[in-house]
Amino acid sequence: MRRFVTIPLMAIAALALQLNAEATEAEVVAVVSADNPIDSISRIELTNIFLGKSGSFPGGAPAQPVDLREGAQSRVMFYSEFAGKSPAQLKAYWSKMIFTGRGQPPKAVDDGNAVKQWLAQNPNAIGYLDNSLVDDRVKIVSVE
Amino acid sequence: MTRRLYARLVLSLLTGVCSGGVVAATEGDTPSLRINGFGTLGVAHSSEDEADYVVDPFQPDGPGYSRSWSADVDSLAGLQVSADFTPKLSGVVQLLAKQRYDNSHDVSAEWANLKYQFTPDFSVRVGRIVQATFLYADTRNVAFTYPWVRPPTELYSLVPVTHNDGVDAQYRMQFGGIVQKLSVAYGSVEQGLPDRLGGSETKAEDIFSATSTTEYGATTLRISYLRPHLTIGAVNPLFDGFRQFGPEGDAIANRYDPDGGHAEVVSIGASYDPGQWFITGEWGSIDYNSVFGKNDAWYLSSGYRFGALTPYVTYARMNHHGATSDPGLTLSSLPPSQAGAGAGLNAALNDILGNGPEQRTITLGLRWDFMPNVAFKAQYEFIDRDDGSPGTFGNLQPDFEPGGDVDLFSASINFVF
Repeated sequence: MRRFVTIPLMAIAALALQLNAEATEAEVVAVVSADNPIDSISRIELTNIFLGKSGSFPGGAPAQPVDLREGAQSRVMFYSEFAGKSPAQLKAYWSKMIFTGRGQPPKAVDDGNAVKQWLAQNPNAIGYLDNSLVDDRVKIVSVE
Repeated sequence: MTRRLYARLVLSLLTGVCSGGVVAATEGDTPSLRINGFGTLGVAHSSEDEADYVVDPFQPDGPGYSRSWSADVDSLAGLQVSADFTPKLSGVVQLLAKQRYDNSHDVSAEWANLKYQFTPDFSVRVGRIVQATFLYADTRNVAFTYPWVRPPTELYSLVPVTHNDGVDAQYRMQFGGIVQKLSVAYGSVEQGLPDRLGGSETKAEDIFSATSTTEYGATTLRISYLRPHLTIGAVNPLFDGFRQFGPEGDAIANRYDPDGGHAEVVSIGASYDPGQWFITGEWGSIDYNSVFGKNDAWYLSSGYRFGALTPYVTYARMNHHGATSDPGLTLSSLPPSQAGAGAGLNAALNDILGNGPEQRTITLGLRWDFMPNVAFKAQYEFIDRDDGSPGTFGNLQPDFEPGGDVDLFSASINFVF
């Protein structure tokens, strides 16, 4: 009798561990060009830039967000972690901005490598990518 | 002559589009011309048989008396074309097809304006512009952008117009993570009324409005003020009638005629949406300074997101203030030949005064985001009209009984592209 309970419990625990491992393994970080003087940003300031509410970094320098294309896993993680928005909510948010005539979503590129290329050419840009892709062309911005 | 003008217009538009394209190439291929669309396919059913459920005075009919199920309350289709002519100058045209006051479904220009972005934080628009009084007014026609089938009727019927022709200026400020937007607008708008309200024209002119929107993370706060001069053609014959009855009639007409002054709207709304759930509430009031008295309304709505499913609940209340009756003309002092006409005017006046909208609604609904850009919604509303009031219902039939409650069922599919 007890075994019938234990096995599903163990299965659930294993699944939870696995999910947890996946969650910590892939981490999305906010990045800017290596030449950009900015080191840290608050979570709200970061999402303001990506949601088109703000056009500048703290301190006043112009900020140009660059997105990953819709459906990219890092994009889903980035918006869920920093803005608390699911893909559907993000779609609804941008519909709202587009249909008020007040804004357009950031430029979107295909993958993390394209983000790095973009940042290398645009010193004002800010993007995000999987931390395994970080190299010396980009700098991680710590989000407080 | 006309052809040459047309050719020049097309040429300058093309030049604009091309130069926009060139600029876009240096800035990172931002498209210079964008086409977006939205639409809703919805049906609604009301248990009230002797009146129609209407969300604003411009709706000619609705579910209830006119038909059992109506697709016209919520269904609509819109197309928006935006163009960047230069990095600072852009234009937008939004075309909308929905049931109009005359029961046609003709396409009309909901917006058509030019925007000049003087700085990243300061812009001015000229042309046909959205009337953004309430929190969800900017995208009132784009149901995909809010949780419900439609914004709560009690509050949103206070300002039924969705755009005006004029100019607005918006200024944006930032303090740390707080984004503060201020906008002021001035304009006018004309709108036909359906046959059920006499079929005449209604005008809002000399409209001044000011809106403050504050955003901090998941929190949004909006405070609005709106001051239009209203001309409601349907009541003109009534007051013209009173004015033929000497000083007493003049006094009555001056007290109740909307043409005499401005209406005033104030509203405050807030929403908190951290992602997993949301809560939003708004309060607003319109003082017509006329026979229509003063209405105020508020609602509170909350929902929780279980993956693609968002069940929500809303409570809304609408109150009417002002005289509910008036003795009108003193019939005993009138010559017998005029007493009949006088009694008719008194009855018409008291009919308006006595029909102030007062009701509350409890809404239970579900939004299902079954595709990234398509949502399905179903909602049930329990509408409880105050004793003696028709509530927000229209097209009242002779057998209509004010007060009482109504069940309203709605379902809709919303999409954007």
